Amino acid sequence: MVGERSAPLVLSRHVLMLGVVLMVLAPVYWMLMIGLKTESEFSQIPPTIWPQEFTLEWFEAVLGKRGFGEQIMNSVIIAVIATSIAITVGSLAAYGLSRFQLPWGLNYHILFFILTVRMFPQTVTVVPLFIFFTQVGLIDTHIGMGLVHSMLELPLAVWMMLGFFRDIPRDLEEAAMVDGDHWLGAFRKVIVPLVRPGLAATSILVLIASWNEFLFSLILTRTEAQTLPIAVANQVTQFDILYGRMMAASAISIIPVLIFTLLVQRNLIRGLTLGGVSGA
Amino acid sequence: MLNVLRRRRGDDLQAIAKTPWWETHLKYFFIAPSLALLAVMAVFPAIMSWRMAFSRVTFKLGELEIEPIGFANFTKVFSDNLIIGSTIRTGVWVLVVVSAEIVVGLIIAFLMSKLHSRARMIFTAALIIPLVLPPVSVGAGWLVMMDVNFGVLNYLLSLVGIESQLWLADDRTALPSIMLIDIWQSSMFVFILMYAGILSLPQDPYEAAAIDGASPWQIFRDVTIPLLRPTFVVVLLLRTLDAARIADRMLVMTRGGPGSSTETVTLSIYKYAFTHFNFGYASALSVMFQVVLIILATVYIRRILQA
Repeated sequence: MVGERSAPLVLSRHVLMLGVVLMVLAPVYWMLMIGLKTESEFSQIPPTIWPQEFTLEWFEAVLGKRGFGEQIMNSVIIAVIATSIAITVGSLAAYGLSRFQLPWGLNYHILFFILTVRMFPQTVTVVPLFIFFTQVGLIDTHIGMGLVHSMLELPLAVWMMLGFFRDIPRDLEEAAMVDGDHWLGAFRKVIVPLVRPGLAATSILVLIASWNEFLFSLILTRTEAQTLPIAVANQVTQFDILYGRMMAASAISIIPVLIFTLLVQRNLIRGLTLGGVSGA
Repeated sequence: MLNVLRRRRGDDLQAIAKTPWWETHLKYFFIAPSLALLAVMAVFPAIMSWRMAFSRVTFKLGELEIEPIGFANFTKVFSDNLIIGSTIRTGVWVLVVVSAEIVVGLIIAFLMSKLHSRARMIFTAALIIPLVLPPVSVGAGWLVMMDVNFGVLNYLLSLVGIESQLWLADDRTALPSIMLIDIWQSSMFVFILMYAGILSLPQDPYEAAAIDGASPWQIFRDVTIPLLRPTFVVVLLLRTLDAARIADRMLVMTRGGPGSSTETVTLSIYKYAFTHFNFGYASALSVMFQVVLIILATVYIRRILQA
């Protein structure tokens, strides 16, 4: 589609897009920089684009705050639990649905049902879960939050992995089984290596979603399993809003996501389009 | 499993006899864990919500009491000005945000499809960044940028001669300010889906149109837009449902204020449940909201199937 027009036009399109990209990324850059500026610098007019004097005082203040380290750990633990459950359970379902035809058109109905769950308003599930979790002692626990997040992201995992499994020709595993492997062996030797990129991308999307999730964590945790977004939000709602600390806390929550995203961006884009079910 | 696969083709009858029962029913074991997880964590709570919606619920010290009261929670809704306001506000929010995001996302997607492949990769990778960032942290960042005194947005406005805005502190500009943030972040979601849709368009109609001597605008209107319709409806469905459930941005940035100028349905329900501890009423609102969303989704999905 390129090449058919004159060079200046093509060039101007690229420049225009560069402008769009810079505008979209400018707020992210700004947020990250505020956390590195001194108080007098980030409140000065005109603002500085590049910090004149770098400071780590906000990061030190936030990280030194009692509980903040634990909140980071909680977020990590919960994200890992949620990802392990959602990926294991979700890939199994996706594999089953991609390989077998169930009676009564169940394949279609199950996929559709999994999708509708994703469309429930959060309050319809979170209020009963709050009561249920309080009664069975899952409130404010890592495993409880991990289960909730894995439920929230299961539709994404199933739909995304379904796409990857469907790409693998069935002949491959049949060939392995004809060679004398049990189905489990064929699965391990043939299927798993082929879907590894898909598994990685799906895992990262679930990991990010769990890391970012706010409403359920706000209601279902108190202290022991409180996650990072709650910690960031707490910096906001204090009477005296501490911008430097707030931005340092935000930056700490943003940076891992940035790294992960850039690591697997190509498969991630596929996941975002395929698994559009997840929303943003 | 080979036996199962073969049986499907009906070419190995002997194998069936030797296959243990669990292996012939293997297909159900794959799906069972997912269904169990959803049953416990989503379906059971939803059923419980419906039950509580028709009850007076007291929950103290882990003791749950549910006393049926018929439709009392539902009739209360129609005289509740707060929830009526939230509903209208959420409607406006969905309309503005989703249409703006579709326009912005579509424009970026088209522009992107006209670039060199190397540039596309880099730009696309850059544009998905806002999409994956935690909404809470992003909200905190915008809070700083929208500061009345030293926020960078007021500084930028002053450069072009526009007076300072109060942004989130004024009940007239608070909701539009949060809309701006949502458009910034979620337009990139629309972009990604639309871009994938554009890339997978068939080439034949374009060649035919070029032979007929159609103008670029005619091609866009009569070829591209109709072909993109299915993608368009999917985007509309996903964005509408997500936009309608918005609460986290408001919870972090304004808590629904000033006044109730940024209060949405989900936020109101949250407050009824967890600041007033009126679980029965909150559940009634939730299930009504759920019904509205299901109707919306059904209408959209019908259109997808027709497209």
